[in-house]
Amino acid sequence: MSTEHVTEARTSVYVYEAPVRVWHWINAASIVVLAVTGYFIGNPLPSVGGDTSDMYVMGTIRFVHFSAAYIFAVGFIGRIYWAFVGNHHAHQLFTLPFWRGEFWRELFFEMRWYLFMERAPKKYEGHNPLAQFFMFFAVMLLSIFMICSGFALYGEGQGIGSWQYSLFGWMFDIFTNSMLLHSWHRLGMWVLVVFIIVHVYAAIREDIMSRQSIISTMISGERMFKDSKD
Amino acid sequence: MGETTETFYDVIRRQGISRRSFMKFCSLTAASLGLGPAFAAKIANAMETKPRIPVLWLHGLECTCCSESFIRSAHPLVKDVVLSMISLDYDDTIMAAAGHQAEAILEEVKTQYKGRYILAVEGNPPLKDGGVYCMPGGTPFVDKLKYMAEDAQAIISWGSCASWGCVQAAKPNPTEATPVHKVIKDKPIIKVPGCPPIAEVMTGVLTYILTFERMPDLDRQGRPKMFYSQRIHDKCYRRPHFDAGQFVEAWDDDNARKGYCLYKMGCKGPTTYNACSTTRWNEGVSFPIQSGHGCIGCSEDGFWDNGSFYDRVTDIKQFGIESTADKVGVAAATTVGAAVAAHAALSLVKRAQQKGSQSDEN
Amino acid sequence: MATTPNGFNLDNSGRRVVVDPVTRIEGHLRVEVNVDENNVIRNAVSTGTMWRGLELILQGRDPRDAWAFTQRICGVCTGTHALTSVRAVEDALDISIPENANSIRNLMQLTLQVHDHLVHFYHLHALDWVDVVSALNADPKATSELAQSISKWPLSSPGYFKDVQGRLKKFVESGQLGPFKNAYWGHPAYKLPAEANLMAVAHYLEALDFQKDIVKIHAIFGGKNPHPNWLVGGVPCAINLDGEGSVGAINMERLNMVSSIIDRCIEFTEQVYIPDLLAVASFYKGWLYGGGLSSKSVLSYGDIPDHANDYSAANLMLPRGAIINGDLSTVHEVDQRDPEQIQEFVDHSWYTYEGDAKGLHPFDGQTNPHFELGAGVKGDAKRIVNIDENAKYSWIKAPRWRGHAMEVGPLSRYIIGYAQGNPEFKEPVEAVLKHLDAPVSALFSTLGRTAARGLECQWAAHKMRYFFDKLIANIKAGDSATANTAKWDPAAWPKSAKGAGFTEAPRGALGHWVEIADGKIKSYQCIVPTTWNGSPRDAQGNIGAFEASLMDTPMADPEQPLEIIRTLHSFDPCLACSTHVMSPDGQEMAEVKVR
Repeated sequence: MSTEHVTEARTSVYVYEAPVRVWHWINAASIVVLAVTGYFIGNPLPSVGGDTSDMYVMGTIRFVHFSAAYIFAVGFIGRIYWAFVGNHHAHQLFTLPFWRGEFWRELFFEMRWYLFMERAPKKYEGHNPLAQFFMFFAVMLLSIFMICSGFALYGEGQGIGSWQYSLFGWMFDIFTNSMLLHSWHRLGMWVLVVFIIVHVYAAIREDIMSRQSIISTMISGERMFKDSKD
Repeated sequence: MGETTETFYDVIRRQGISRRSFMKFCSLTAASLGLGPAFAAKIANAMETKPRIPVLWLHGLECTCCSESFIRSAHPLVKDVVLSMISLDYDDTIMAAAGHQAEAILEEVKTQYKGRYILAVEGNPPLKDGGVYCMPGGTPFVDKLKYMAEDAQAIISWGSCASWGCVQAAKPNPTEATPVHKVIKDKPIIKVPGCPPIAEVMTGVLTYILTFERMPDLDRQGRPKMFYSQRIHDKCYRRPHFDAGQFVEAWDDDNARKGYCLYKMGCKGPTTYNACSTTRWNEGVSFPIQSGHGCIGCSEDGFWDNGSFYDRVTDIKQFGIESTADKVGVAAATTVGAAVAAHAALSLVKRAQQKGSQSDEN
Repeated sequence: MATTPNGFNLDNSGRRVVVDPVTRIEGHLRVEVNVDENNVIRNAVSTGTMWRGLELILQGRDPRDAWAFTQRICGVCTGTHALTSVRAVEDALDISIPENANSIRNLMQLTLQVHDHLVHFYHLHALDWVDVVSALNADPKATSELAQSISKWPLSSPGYFKDVQGRLKKFVESGQLGPFKNAYWGHPAYKLPAEANLMAVAHYLEALDFQKDIVKIHAIFGGKNPHPNWLVGGVPCAINLDGEGSVGAINMERLNMVSSIIDRCIEFTEQVYIPDLLAVASFYKGWLYGGGLSSKSVLSYGDIPDHANDYSAANLMLPRGAIINGDLSTVHEVDQRDPEQIQEFVDHSWYTYEGDAKGLHPFDGQTNPHFELGAGVKGDAKRIVNIDENAKYSWIKAPRWRGHAMEVGPLSRYIIGYAQGNPEFKEPVEAVLKHLDAPVSALFSTLGRTAARGLECQWAAHKMRYFFDKLIANIKAGDSATANTAKWDPAAWPKSAKGAGFTEAPRGALGHWVEIADGKIKSYQCIVPTTWNGSPRDAQGNIGAFEASLMDTPMADPEQPLEIIRTLHSFDPCLACSTHVMSPDGQEMAEVKVR
């Protein structure tokens, strides 16, 4: 399982299989595109002049947003598929060992480490418990919300007979005014932005300060351990 | 709706009322109008053929804009609706009778047209304190509504008050004004939202029911698909300016005079399901966007509580009245960014200290 | 038996008659009267039976949005609350509007006056004077002669009236009388001959067709009607006569449509409304009940500013002032901001004031809803049989001007204009009185109220032409501005500000008072025409205009309250307008006690 400690004196282990790594970077790129275009859909750029029929600024921004959204969604579905067929690290994203006391103890240990209350971190092959916690909520659940709300909003434009509206129209039973769903979809974007700030920082910091490699692992798939201690 | 072809006479015979009693009823009707026996026979004849469907139009907490809109209908003209299509037996805004003569009509239609009348509701009932905030006829409106709904064939919720709650249900909803479908659960309800709905949409829904003798197809939220299945934005004649990225930036600026898109002025056309941009208002003369003001989203649930009508990125009420997604997001990102920077600095210090102590140990 | 300070002898010992709901009005009104052995009304009690709390809902909102909320106070006098609201906010923030915006706003307000008065006369009020069923007995030829003798309106042939009568006959023969069911047909208080009734029925239907065209002016400038759009700082519609994109703005085609509607308004008012009014009045001129407070105390704020941004009496085309105790020789100046002048009392309203506050100016207004049925009430909160006027008995507050209960509305405006000697108001009044061979005192009656409304409709139609011409002249002179956006951004506003806005709504004097703090509404108060007219008693026992107007009216049959609704309708009551409150601290929540 994700939290099991490496006890053998090994220097590296293969954690992230190729599809997971590819998904990670495609996902990262699509989120950046979605956030930027999404921001400008809500707060459009200054007006352009010229012949209206020659211009397609807003149209292009929206097209890019929708295209990136499809990539994001398809990637997410692929990632779910890989959770079933990939190695045991591949389904860590979708699980939260909520009932395991050890998980929460280690999560708090990890928090103390970040608060400079522990001298040395522990070793993890996959995500550490704190990272897993955030991955579960900020990546997995939020991605589902963003996909559902996004396709529901997209479905409005495609028409109430479209597959997008048929599949995701139920979002409007919860958010009965489409404006409200727009606002929450936008808030979701900001949560992702905040997550990315923390994620990138933590990855760089862990790469430097923890006992295992982080960034290179998402490129090569190999988790390198810097020491052989337990 | 198929049984609307059954005549008034058929129904009362089915309910065990004799022909003799029926004729007596017709004579009484004629007599109450000061008319002779010749009229009684004609009334009887009309009743035995196909009667107009009775509509009872109740008013709760409202502003009467729906009734005002209804009488603006150009096709069909409202006089034709009232004189030839329906039998508008009760509507306190226009009916000639008042007081107990008016209230008696409700009882009469409820009994004589049991299960066959349409209950049209304008406004909504306040539920707080037993409903004392709306007491037409000396009784709480909520009681009257429930009582009259019992034997209705279907209910039409006119306007945003009856459909969603509208302005009196806006935060903090001091009277607990409640839309009709949350009070009446066991009847088909057609929501015709808007503040008010477009006149021809109102008469369109009504005449559809009469002409095709069936309920209109409704969308997920209970609105007739024929008028509420697309957003104003989808059919807006200013849409090309939206796609081009050409917006009004300030009131009465050059772009406003050119008729550019009102998106940045807070137009809610992209989130509002209504027929304004196609059917338009007042016999097709205009609609809000055509006259230079953004759509305020008046046919949508809770449109009063989605922030200013002039904001594009609007408030999320759960975060207090002044918080938009962008305000929350920028604040969070800034805070977290600062925290990360501080944490990074502290980490470097700690690391330097640790390195120092490690080298001491060695 | 008791005499009120404003001079009415109340006696509640006789038979109690209840009319609830009062129909053909906006909102929910209840009236109870006591009649003596001769069926003459000796005590009258009017109760507003609804409350929505709109001003409380406005707290904390963007002041630029307030017009949309307040407009939903009333969908019948649609627009007038919005106009009052943008004026109040502009007053608070010291925003001036362009001249074109003033002309367009006046055009919209006058459109409302014409529409509202016309619909009121034909569709809400006419059935109090016109016996629809009697029209079946009319001779179409004689009807045609009658119509042609009073007007040159072309729809007047015998064949036309025969068709109308035929349609009516078919309708009645169906046995389904719809809105005409259970009414008072054949009541002795109906006095028109059958031919006049038939003519009136024809015009009832014509007016129903025409009214929908009048409001197209609202659609042109405000996008829709009911509830057109408004803007703090001007009007939302841009003017673009011949530039790029002018087809989507106020252009020649739009202006032509406005102009042609104005022509038709003048025509219909002068050839149909006024002749009908005079014809009806000539049969009822002996029925001079229902004077209410009009011969005693009347109030008007004035409206229709000729030039933009000047709300002084000299610049207002509708008269401004107050007359008290029937002294027409003195017209008092009115100041909405003076805490000594306008105050609201709640002794007989379902609210309480904190502390021992008696009357409160709207800037200090507070109201804590407090539904409580008096000891003398028959029935309970589930079914009120009789109300107790000695306790709290209405959702309407009691506003007073320097302690006086006042009547507002077209008649009040005409009386003040008459007292000021303004020929625009004095001359038409004198012409009508001469035509009917009636004394000036006939003005102070139900019929006088109805007549003043008709005259004002005609006045407003002509003023529409005036402001249309003014708009064209100003555009011609090179000014096409419609909005001032210098203070659109809340950053440009002072930290706190107070403002008052007022209009003359179709039903009378309308005021909004707003306090803005940190860019948001801190408090909002409205006193609307029906709050004045439908006011309950105050602590001194002064009765309101509705109540006063019913006093001493003889009823032919108390079971058939035609006389009561006839007089109440002459005020054009608007109950959704009159009943809404707030508290300054937002702590308000209703408390209900039923004894």
